[in-house]
Amino acid sequence: MTEKIIELLKSSGVDGWEVVDKVTEAWEFYFIKHELDQNRVRDVEHISIEVFRKLEDGKFLGSASEEIAPTATEAEAKKLIEDLYERAAFVKNPYYELGKKSEVLKNQDFDPKKMAQDFIEALAEVPETSTEYINSYEIFAEKIKKRFVNSEGVDMTVTYPSSTVEVVVNAKNEEHEIELYNMYNSGTCDKEALKKEIALSLKYGKDRLHTVPTPAIKKAPLVLSTKDTVMVGQWAAMKMHVAMVFRKMSNWEIGKPICDDVKGDTFTMKSVKELPNSSKNIGMDSEGNVVRDMDIIKDNVPQNYWGDRQFGYYMGIKDIFMPNNFELEGGKSSEEELRQGTFLEVVEFSDFSVDNFTGDIAGEIRLGYWHDGDKVAVVSGGSVSGSLPELIKDIRFSKEQKQYDSYVLPAVIRIADVTIAGVE
Amino acid sequence: MKAKFSPYLSGIADGIKELIAELKKSYDYVSVLSTDSVGFTVSVSQRSKSIQGKTMMTERGNVVRVYKDGLYSEYAFNLFDPSKAKETAEKIKKILDSQLEVIKATSTKVYDTKKLSDEKQELFVEMECRTVPEETDLSALVEKFQKISDEGVSFSDEVLECMVGGRSTHICKMFLTENKDLRQSYVASDGYVYMMGARGDKQDTAHVGVSDREGPDIFDVFTETVKTAFKDLQDNLGSSHIEPGEYEVITTPIVTGLIAHEAFGHGVEMDMFVKNRALGAEYIDKRVGSDLVTMHEGATVVKDASSYAFDDEGTLAGDVIEIQNGILKTGICDALAALRLGCEPTGNGKRENFEHKAYTRMTNTMFDAGTSTKEEMIASVKKGYLLDGFFSGMEDPKHWGIQCIIARGYEIIDGKLTGKVVSPVVMTGYVPDLLGSISMTSKDYESFGTGMCGKGHKEWVKTVDGGPYLKAVARLG
Repeated sequence: MTEKIIELLKSSGVDGWEVVDKVTEAWEFYFIKHELDQNRVRDVEHISIEVFRKLEDGKFLGSASEEIAPTATEAEAKKLIEDLYERAAFVKNPYYELGKKSEVLKNQDFDPKKMAQDFIEALAEVPETSTEYINSYEIFAEKIKKRFVNSEGVDMTVTYPSSTVEVVVNAKNEEHEIELYNMYNSGTCDKEALKKEIALSLKYGKDRLHTVPTPAIKKAPLVLSTKDTVMVGQWAAMKMHVAMVFRKMSNWEIGKPICDDVKGDTFTMKSVKELPNSSKNIGMDSEGNVVRDMDIIKDNVPQNYWGDRQFGYYMGIKDIFMPNNFELEGGKSSEEELRQGTFLEVVEFSDFSVDNFTGDIAGEIRLGYWHDGDKVAVVSGGSVSGSLPELIKDIRFSKEQKQYDSYVLPAVIRIADVTIAGVE
Repeated sequence: MKAKFSPYLSGIADGIKELIAELKKSYDYVSVLSTDSVGFTVSVSQRSKSIQGKTMMTERGNVVRVYKDGLYSEYAFNLFDPSKAKETAEKIKKILDSQLEVIKATSTKVYDTKKLSDEKQELFVEMECRTVPEETDLSALVEKFQKISDEGVSFSDEVLECMVGGRSTHICKMFLTENKDLRQSYVASDGYVYMMGARGDKQDTAHVGVSDREGPDIFDVFTETVKTAFKDLQDNLGSSHIEPGEYEVITTPIVTGLIAHEAFGHGVEMDMFVKNRALGAEYIDKRVGSDLVTMHEGATVVKDASSYAFDDEGTLAGDVIEIQNGILKTGICDALAALRLGCEPTGNGKRENFEHKAYTRMTNTMFDAGTSTKEEMIASVKKGYLLDGFFSGMEDPKHWGIQCIIARGYEIIDGKLTGKVVSPVVMTGYVPDLLGSISMTSKDYESFGTGMCGKGHKEWVKTVDGGPYLKAVARLG
């Protein structure tokens, strides 16, 4: 169907077009404890078309998009192209250019059956006890073949793996039972890494059985040492998104330090074309732009914006792209040094959120370790809050890094002076 | 007008029935959910415009559910030729058998489940609506949104951007088994005015939405919505941080809805009972809130964006009283969880789309209205906040914790609003404590359906929630 659509688009007389054809073969297994609840297969193809139309002698560029069913007839495809061309006239955006650069991308074969079986075996090998155990898990193993074609000669196809495992672990004693929820994303199954992460979650579960209410701390350094560090990295990355900058939702400028009077570590962030076993080793972004290694921020000084072609063009950046993988460099201190003195280390939030626009952070504490001098209390309840633009001067990063799928970040991030709403 | 049922689905119905007949030769139960939902998303801001022929609910595809030897298996696909049902059946059997090889190779035990019943049932519903997305003049809609956006930024130099968006979907679903033939067609829409602003170094946002089981005509209210969004933005930009502590609070209906959703919405999804993941299972017929707390859940509770005729497993929509005068009565249940728990399904088996598994999910989750007025409730507060708007919420059904990130709180001292605003406000607590503290409920009754709800951190479906103003005691930070 895709070839027919391309043929129709070429002969349609539209000013520009893009086609994305994504074929997914996914194997899914759902477990309650270690018993199979349900098995599923997804065997789908999604074809989306975007049509562009020059308006007012090319001063403006309109566009409209829609997915077309792979079972559509030639007449339906032709009608859709005509409809999209008409709709594109209603969307008068200042002119911008489509991508022109094409590369030969990886097309290694992956077997979702093998990937799924590896995950099932890995979950069966997690050391459990009668008091710390796996409650349930869901396995999603996908082989994705994605082709991007446009009117400017770009024609790239990539095949890549993408996996997700959702695991709920429980811990119990004679008084009560608790659960912890985790979702792990990767390319294929890295058995040892997955088992290590789940074992850590089981340890946290055991600790959560013996928590005391978070005291009324008011203000304290917050230490993040789990996947929540990604939220800090994403916030910094989004501040450099060209659409955020163009819309004045970010005031970070190339060459101008992101803050003065730094007491902590500086941000150094880059786009990384590939990371080991990342589910985002795709080689191109969603607009068909080739991705590459690139400095984004160096020692707190913005180097390059990233983002979509439309806003990139408006900002005068023609060779722009949306990175699939990011790296935030480590700082001057070790993990151990960042865990000195008084601080609250939270390893489980209900949902740790960072608002990309305001930089507000918030999260209910499900499991934390309150270090007050030589004493350590395992705490639960209450919340943390603050504003990263206000806190950025004193954020410290560990030298050691850790990878969470498409992000490599400092293993430990310490943020000074965070508001802690305790329970007591 | 009636939302007409999909000609495409009508066209493949015989082929799907043939596929079911073929699969029945190998499996004890077979059902197919077929979907064909079309729609659009239009968004306009000062710096960009877009028209997309899709929403979070547009889809076209099929999911086959089969049962044999205690195990349910599914195959989701969107390449179907009705004239080749036999070949499709062979393909499905082959790949599901291949999955059984993995189950065998890993010595995996099956969670044994009974067979679903399959009584004869027919239903054809084309719901009433004022407009449909397919017949919308998108040119006029873009122009209308542009005017709203222009008006939004004209209010003040502090407004950096005003984004106006609307989504409208004509949903058509067909559920077939050997004996069932259920078909429904309805339209659901939602939209928003999202404003971003800055005052000095402070940046903030405001979001006001609208939703209904209606077509794009619901966006006509945006001329008023934009004024509300601007007021909210001004309040947020002038806000300070809250002093953490426990306060008396009045929740506006939108915050009431968030509490309903996060507190006892997720907490009584009974597929979580099967996994022993919800504390609610141990509290049936026990007190979980004050006498003033009565909560309904179901697709027929109100008319809004999640009000359908049958769910994605072919169970008719219902209205369940989850909490009655503070006593937890029952939960909501999908078909397979009902089989496992020995109860009846409630019409809450929903999928993100045909590609996804069905789980127990919320539809319309609503607190009942009371007898007080908002003014009486504010006058009764010694020191506290009127909480309005939200950014996010998170459930914790196993421990009944709740996290709501509220957009802003208006300070109340000695029964009067002082004009001071705090933002954002993180409301946390233990659900029975929060619901047990509810001491007043207003006569108002509003539903909100602009958001999408996840199960954990995935499986996004449209849900609606709301109720009256509530007076409670909550921990804020």
